[in-house]
Amino acid sequence: MGALTTFQSIAIVAAAIAFAAMLAAAALHRLEWRTAFAWSALWALAALTILKPSITVAIAHFLGIGRGADLVFYCGILGMLFGFFVIYIRIKRLESEITRLVRALAIRDAEEGRDVASR
Amino acid sequence: MADWVVVPAYNEATVIASVIADLRRYADHIVVVDDCSADDTASAAHSAGATVLRHSINRGQGAAIQTGLEFALRRGADTIVTFDADGQHDAADLPVLLAPIRERRADIVLGSRFTGQSNVPQLRRWLLRGAVVFTRLTSGLRVTDAHNGLRAFSRRGAEAIHIRLDRMAHASEIMDLIHSSGLPYTEVPVRVRYTDYTRRKGQRGMHAIRVAFDYLFGRWVR
Repeated sequence: MGALTTFQSIAIVAAAIAFAAMLAAAALHRLEWRTAFAWSALWALAALTILKPSITVAIAHFLGIGRGADLVFYCGILGMLFGFFVIYIRIKRLESEITRLVRALAIRDAEEGRDVASR
Repeated sequence: MADWVVVPAYNEATVIASVIADLRRYADHIVVVDDCSADDTASAAHSAGATVLRHSINRGQGAAIQTGLEFALRRGADTIVTFDADGQHDAADLPVLLAPIRERRADIVLGSRFTGQSNVPQLRRWLLRGAVVFTRLTSGLRVTDAHNGLRAFSRRGAEAIHIRLDRMAHASEIMDLIHSSGLPYTEVPVRVRYTDYTRRKGQRGMHAIRVAFDYLFGRWVR
């Protein structure tokens, strides 16, 4: 493997901290174990490809992509798009829950005869 | 029969009282759903003799209509008319709208500004024609005016409508719900007044793209 480059040294420390942080969060009940494991696995994978970039090159070639860095880039974009989509759906759901709550309050107030003009 | 009118309202303090005064000549129960207006819409509507429900957070016209429908159903409504608060509709159209329901010919009656004589501005006419084609493609409903706020429902019709799209895409959603309910529906000619006020309060043409997106996305994601 040889000596680590500056980038590798910094990135590996960052990945290790992120890896540990996920597990610590789960241990402190800030995160579900399932979620923590998924994130930890992702950081472990990141650490592996930082230490041995030749892995991504091999996979990239297998898929017909020229460079390993391009493969990582494509995966990153896809992952982000998926993330946006999930968040969008969650916001939609949250909005419809707010609507149901606002509706229930409006109907309850009217049925209990609370005076609208005074509010 | 207990006839109810649901009026979704947002910042309509200057016109709401006269709209309610007109409606009171044709219906006994008027419920205004104030969608968190910044002005005195709620108190103006209350003084004019309407029952007022207030959304504590602005949720959009679709949400306001659904709130009004649920309230009217809980109060034992036999028929429910939805009527815009900006004065674009004519209260004198209510008997025309309710006739097919009383004659048990339909559970849902849609007001159309195109079946009778028409006074719709040219640009708006093209836009609404596009919306009609859109509705035919997406809902399979053959109507002449897909985006008219003036509608009437029998109790059974109102019970079949559960609006989930809170904002303006609810108009297309209602068409879907009518289609999937399988209930009989019909259109009747109504007048729509285009004044400076209603046109200022109304939807901008370009907004249609956003509404279409909301609608299509809403169909896809349940």
